[in-house]
Amino acid sequence: MPRNRDRRPAGRPATAVVTTAGRGSRRGSPQTRLRVGFVMIAMVLSLFGARLVQLQGLDPGSYAAMAAAEGTVDVVLPAQRGDILDRNGQPLAVSIDGLMIVGDPQMTEDKAPEIARFLSQKLDVDYFAVLKRLRGLKEGSRFEYLARHVPSTLATDVIHEAEDRGYEGLSTRRDAVRTYPSHDIAANLVGFVGTDQPYGGLEEVFDKALSGKDGSERYEVGAGNRIPLGDNTTVPAVDGQDLRTTIDRDLQWYTQRVLRQAREASGGSSAIAVIMDSRTGEVLALADDPTYDADAPGESPVKDRRARSLNLAYEPGSVEKVLTLSALIDAGKVNARTELLVPGELHRQDRVIHDHWEHGLIKLTLAGVLAKSSNVGTVLASDRFEPGQLRAYLAQFGLGQPTNVGLGAESRGNLPDPSVWNSQIGDRIAFGQSLAVNAMQMTAAVNTIANHGLRVDPTLIQGQARRDDGMEIGTDVSSTRQVISKEAARQMTLMMERTVDPEDGVAPKAQVPGYVVAGKTGTAQRVGTCGTGAAKHSCYDGTNTVSFAGFAPAQNPRFTIYVVIQAPTIAGAGGGATAGPVFSKLMAYALQRYGVPPIEKKQTRLPVEW
Amino acid sequence: MSTPALQLRERLPRLADEALDRARLTVVPRRRVRAARMPFVTLVSLILLGGVVGLLCFNTQMQQASFAATQLEAQSDNLAAREQTLHDDLQQLRDPQELARRAQAAGMVVPQTSCTLRLAAATTQGTCAPATADSTPPLDPRPPRKPAVLDPDPVVVVVPPAAGAQGQGGRHDQGGRGHEGHHDTARG
Repeated sequence: MPRNRDRRPAGRPATAVVTTAGRGSRRGSPQTRLRVGFVMIAMVLSLFGARLVQLQGLDPGSYAAMAAAEGTVDVVLPAQRGDILDRNGQPLAVSIDGLMIVGDPQMTEDKAPEIARFLSQKLDVDYFAVLKRLRGLKEGSRFEYLARHVPSTLATDVIHEAEDRGYEGLSTRRDAVRTYPSHDIAANLVGFVGTDQPYGGLEEVFDKALSGKDGSERYEVGAGNRIPLGDNTTVPAVDGQDLRTTIDRDLQWYTQRVLRQAREASGGSSAIAVIMDSRTGEVLALADDPTYDADAPGESPVKDRRARSLNLAYEPGSVEKVLTLSALIDAGKVNARTELLVPGELHRQDRVIHDHWEHGLIKLTLAGVLAKSSNVGTVLASDRFEPGQLRAYLAQFGLGQPTNVGLGAESRGNLPDPSVWNSQIGDRIAFGQSLAVNAMQMTAAVNTIANHGLRVDPTLIQGQARRDDGMEIGTDVSSTRQVISKEAARQMTLMMERTVDPEDGVAPKAQVPGYVVAGKTGTAQRVGTCGTGAAKHSCYDGTNTVSFAGFAPAQNPRFTIYVVIQAPTIAGAGGGATAGPVFSKLMAYALQRYGVPPIEKKQTRLPVEW
Repeated sequence: MSTPALQLRERLPRLADEALDRARLTVVPRRRVRAARMPFVTLVSLILLGGVVGLLCFNTQMQQASFAATQLEAQSDNLAAREQTLHDDLQQLRDPQELARRAQAAGMVVPQTSCTLRLAAATTQGTCAPATADSTPPLDPRPPRKPAVLDPDPVVVVVPPAAGAQGQGGRHDQGGRGHEGHHDTARG
């Protein structure tokens, strides 16, 4: 009411004056009041102004972020890890959606034993380990991993059941599962992914390409639902690339099983088998034994999880004679019918060279030297090399250099440097001792003969792929080089056919019914450790490396197979008797599997004696 | 009080004035035709109301769709996970080892030789012989060798047939000695 009275029209001044005067005594003059009011309004406005400056001027970004964070959800869109496939698209390693189960000890502590029992029954986890985590590994912990890499259907079922039973404090997070559906098949080659990172094999070497790039998504939610017109940004995940290998899974399986059978029967410490497509250099099977289950790597010792076929360097023995003699033929020094007088033993500067069987002076052709695997004959023939020629040929065959077939930590072997090369070393290298190779190098070298003198780089990856270290490898970037002439390769093939001859050769068990096989055995002295404690040193410890390398059909080779068994313990173990039958089985299987028709052709009658 | 004549006199010039006034041209304001306000206001109100109601419906519809989308997404995730798990199961079944196990259980073997049929010439090529199991490798590795403590050598105890002891007593005695021997081996 007083306000109304203030606004009275000026027609009644007397009353107004009286009223104003009467109240003015208490309120002060209007001017004063106006000033006070103005000051108060100004103060309030200046507070607003200051706040405005604070919000917009000093740190607008963080406030905007805080405002946005309210009700905004940030999600990582995990990139799917690429699969590792065999040549027919069968999976060797695949990723499936998975979850991890995590617990909040503050909530799970009370019912820890019940939850632990429940989880250990439902999932593959240890009761006591989970129990500890449910009670909190650290004081005041609010986050503990209970199970990692659980397939998401299983994890969801478990969480639902836990809720039904009234267990609180369990939740899930995304955590992809890597599975190896064929377990130990090509496990040494593929490697495996541990809890957080890959170990060994292709998984490790191609980790970047396989992993892809995680994406992210940010959106606003209200009551658990996405707000339709709210802020919404999505950076899609880039899935990892699939890696297609040249491995044939079924052939790989058969190779591994046959190899294991042979190693167990011979009492060997380890064994390797390589099957290569002679024309393209593609590796169809690369088997190591003992091996491991990539789905349960912890059950096997670390040494069995590596690829011995690439990491292990050993002395190849007589298989190497193939390279020596074909180099001699290519250099025009000898031919398959060259006649040699081979004594029972050969005295060289530092030691005596023997053959693996007792004999007097015998007359062997070069073909006979190879078929009977005579060390003395090989050394006599290799005396015809010019200085440095053998080493140059062996380097051309790819010895002493990594094949770069795809895996990390590949051994480059050991081809002695020209500076340390002397005639004794040269003599021993001529028949395959005093130099070291890995199985892949040796397979590629023997494959050079099968491929008419043209060496193709062995490959494990179809197409092209980039390793984490930047190297591009694969069938698209493999190279070839002519090491020996076509004619030299043809003569060597004929000589190698004599190796499996039942009468003249040393490895009749390596024959494949219906096909003509060319091959060479190897029984090498193996380097081990002698002495104990500080006196430990490398030496020939009396064990052998037995091997067989060959290809078929001899005149038009499709497959080159190399089998190596380390340190067999049974009596009479040798390249022909122990590794030969493995070669025969693998070759028969591969030829049938790829539909190579049997060829009606008589075995060569190249003379072995004169 | 005025006379009628006066009245007339007074009136006449007035009339003339009026006529004069009327005869003189003057500027008149343009006549404005005002449409009825009511229909326009109603129309605008209706449009506004319609817009508001429409927007509300649209918004509600979008929210509904959002709920449905969230639910369907969850369902799709679920189904994708199930599909993957089933696919994984399938892969386990297609594992060469599993196939070989089933094939061997059915009595199948890996052939040793191959035989090609030439249908046109009605001949065979290669070694045509019945398959044997020689090329079929065992599926599983040999079991690991147990430590000597767990796998002692069999103990052979030769018991000379005692003249007096026979029947139950004799057997009991033999068992007891065998047990003793077993312990000795384990300790050794």
